Amino acid sequence: MSRKLKKIVDRLKELESLTLQCMKCGVCQSVCPLYQKDFFEPSVARGKISLIEALYYGRMENAPGVLKYLDYCILCGRCKRFCPSSVNIDEIFVRAKGIVREIEGLPLYQKVLLKSLIGKSNFVTTFQPIVSAGFKLVSKPSKADEEIREVEFPIKKNVVSIKSRSFNTIYGGFHKAKNEKLRVIFYPGCAISYMYIDWGKAVVDVLNHFGVSVYVPKKNKCCGIPAATMGDVELYKKMVKINHDWFETINDAEYIITACPTCEYGLFDLGKRIAGIDSNKKHMDIMIFLKKILNIEFSKKLNKRATLHIPCHYEHEFDSDLIDELGAFNSDFQPLENQSCCGFGGTFSLKFPNDSKEVGNPKMKEVKDKDFEILYSPCPGCVMQLTDLAMHDGIDVKVEHPIVEVYRLLKEDGI
Amino acid sequence: MSKRRLKKLFSKIVGEDNCWIEEEILASYSYDSYPEEPVLPDIVVRPTHTEQIGEIISLCNKMEIPLTVRGAGTNLSGGTVPLKGGCVLVTTALNRIIEINKDDMFARVEPGVVTQKLANAVEKIGLLYPPDPASMKVSTIGGNVAENSGGLRALKYGVTDRYVMEVKFYDVDGNLVKGGGIPVKLVTGFNLKGLMISSEGLLGVISEVMLRLIPPPQARKTLLIFFDDVIDASSVVSEIILNRILPATLEIMDNFTIKTVEKFHKIGLPNKDALLLIEVDGHPAALEDEYEKIEKICKKYGGEVHIAKSQTERDKLWQARRDALSSLAMLKPTLILEDATVPRSKVPDMMRIIQDVAKKYNLLIGTFGHAGDGNLHPTILTDKRDKEEMERVYQAIDEIFYRTLELGGTLSGEHGIGIAKKKYLEKEIGTGTLKFYQKLKRGLDPKGILNPGKVI
Repeated sequence: MSRKLKKIVDRLKELESLTLQCMKCGVCQSVCPLYQKDFFEPSVARGKISLIEALYYGRMENAPGVLKYLDYCILCGRCKRFCPSSVNIDEIFVRAKGIVREIEGLPLYQKVLLKSLIGKSNFVTTFQPIVSAGFKLVSKPSKADEEIREVEFPIKKNVVSIKSRSFNTIYGGFHKAKNEKLRVIFYPGCAISYMYIDWGKAVVDVLNHFGVSVYVPKKNKCCGIPAATMGDVELYKKMVKINHDWFETINDAEYIITACPTCEYGLFDLGKRIAGIDSNKKHMDIMIFLKKILNIEFSKKLNKRATLHIPCHYEHEFDSDLIDELGAFNSDFQPLENQSCCGFGGTFSLKFPNDSKEVGNPKMKEVKDKDFEILYSPCPGCVMQLTDLAMHDGIDVKVEHPIVEVYRLLKEDGI
Repeated sequence: MSKRRLKKLFSKIVGEDNCWIEEEILASYSYDSYPEEPVLPDIVVRPTHTEQIGEIISLCNKMEIPLTVRGAGTNLSGGTVPLKGGCVLVTTALNRIIEINKDDMFARVEPGVVTQKLANAVEKIGLLYPPDPASMKVSTIGGNVAENSGGLRALKYGVTDRYVMEVKFYDVDGNLVKGGGIPVKLVTGFNLKGLMISSEGLLGVISEVMLRLIPPPQARKTLLIFFDDVIDASSVVSEIILNRILPATLEIMDNFTIKTVEKFHKIGLPNKDALLLIEVDGHPAALEDEYEKIEKICKKYGGEVHIAKSQTERDKLWQARRDALSSLAMLKPTLILEDATVPRSKVPDMMRIIQDVAKKYNLLIGTFGHAGDGNLHPTILTDKRDKEEMERVYQAIDEIFYRTLELGGTLSGEHGIGIAKKKYLEKEIGTGTLKFYQKLKRGLDPKGILNPGKVI
């Protein structure tokens, strides 16, 4: 055994108490979006856990071979959610990937991406106008929507344009509500900071309208999830800590509000398990906060065929609340029957663009067959992916975060 | 033979994209759900058309390459572990439901069809495929037939074999063989479909199965009953059946399992010595009568009866049983699930024996299972890294099996023999029967390439 491999094996052994919980029942096959497409054991959690075990019990020596399949995972978390033995599968994958990556090294483009975009927020803010202009150069406008541009990276994709000024640059700071009831922090995350700026505005204005004052960070600092999925666990931990340190400086905020479930998952659920950092503040998705804490009601109802894709990292105990809430302002609303993943998975869609599309396509087929006009999804990643899939197949559906609809309805009422 | 050459040979049959010799793929097909030591095959082959099975099997036979067939790999007796290396044939791409026939009430499927998917498709046209093994969300029909899988409804509806009408399979020479057919009465020739049921991959490779479907029951009623004494609960089981009532489900859980479910899931179970979950189904009028009788019997033994009035309540009552295995799994790193089965009248004795064995070997054993058909699941919670404890585990398993046989029971109610129960087989079936198995095997598979090292 080479020294390098021995190092990997020794470190992977740290995960033994987690992997041992897996009794290899195989139930994950029934919920894994990749297994359901491939019917191939290395695609599914049980297979990947067995590979990690095969490495540290010495049944095989090919660590990069294992890494290849650890990478081939959307990290949608269905395996963990439906695991009869409650195995901490996401934690096993992220940590195992981190260990193998640390010793094998990252591919260059991922290294550059991580170090410049995620680790250094100043870098991004400074260069954002240039990136925005550069993005316009390498992309071309799409026919259907002026916000969306076509790029070839690595396959043809329809992407929402990167704005020249970030949400934080415009909205960073404290937004006091008129009849203040309570104070919260709004953590926008990268997608809302650089691309979906309107969503951020909607969150702040809607909260203000209902008497909630909002703190917005002046600089966006990534939640760290892309670092975790690429295997840079140390950078991930660092980002979780930086963000929590900032949250702690705001004493009078009761909640941390997010509009991206993956950021929420990365900062809190997974963050707690991997970085060991917990917050004394409560955290909540914006839609659930409106429904459960502010109990908002709608006087108007839309009359369009609307549906919902629930993001993988949504706090699923609130799924039915979200469905009720959207039903409250849409008279013709039903969530999608297909409850699988949209296939995005952040860096997964860059690494495996075709698989990513294949996972999402059945969803769009349902949207088309049932002739929905609006497809809500409270997650920038899902919206990005579903928009791209819809445009690819020429499906005429509006994909957006429901907070944007709520904002529109309130504006019609004159806020 | 070198792996490269193997790949070349099999590529000619299934194409390069459907066979693998990479270490990480081989390691992914080296285990199943039984905690055995995994063994890597030399090649993994995934046919996309059933005809390719014949070519694969005859190539293996010609070159003397061991052949282990695998569906979802949920086997609980080590049957899909490629003990002697060689070729693992994965059936997951053979997953077409070929036909569902409403008039003659049958379904024709390829071996890789997932049980749940078939059950759903059948339900859509208003019929029922009754076998419901606990792994049905992922298990495949080919595996269900080869292992003769059971399930929760077996007491009334029987296990997989009751529903197999026809099996097509390839013998070692690559000939397509057919056993059974559509007619309800069919006595033409040997009962070859019977031969394939429970054959555990030793006699041929299944390429197509025709399954009987039935009209679903009109109504059902669910009861959950708590008892102060597990022996009372087991006595209730016998008495219900003595009263000529055949519930679809009659499940038991002991105190240790109840406590463990409550510990992890907090669903409000009382700390009682045992519970029974009973479901009767059929015509609504008959149901009412059966329900009243069951309630009376339960009360006679001091049972605390809860009934479900709605689907939500039914789900609630089922929750404890559904959570049983996973809760036990969370207690310790290694879980060994056994399926020793005794005649129904011996269930109280068996419950006592398991309690004694747990005490004698100082082990954690939770028991739940299908009390109605005598199929209990003593579940041993341990840690395979603890050598000393594992020694006691093996002794305990030995004792459970030997005492099961003394009670006139069987080694396996639904999990099969595989590697796990091979050493006890002769004791149950006798030397003459084992020799007959061996002669049958030698005749059908003279080179011994089909799933070597298992069962016999």
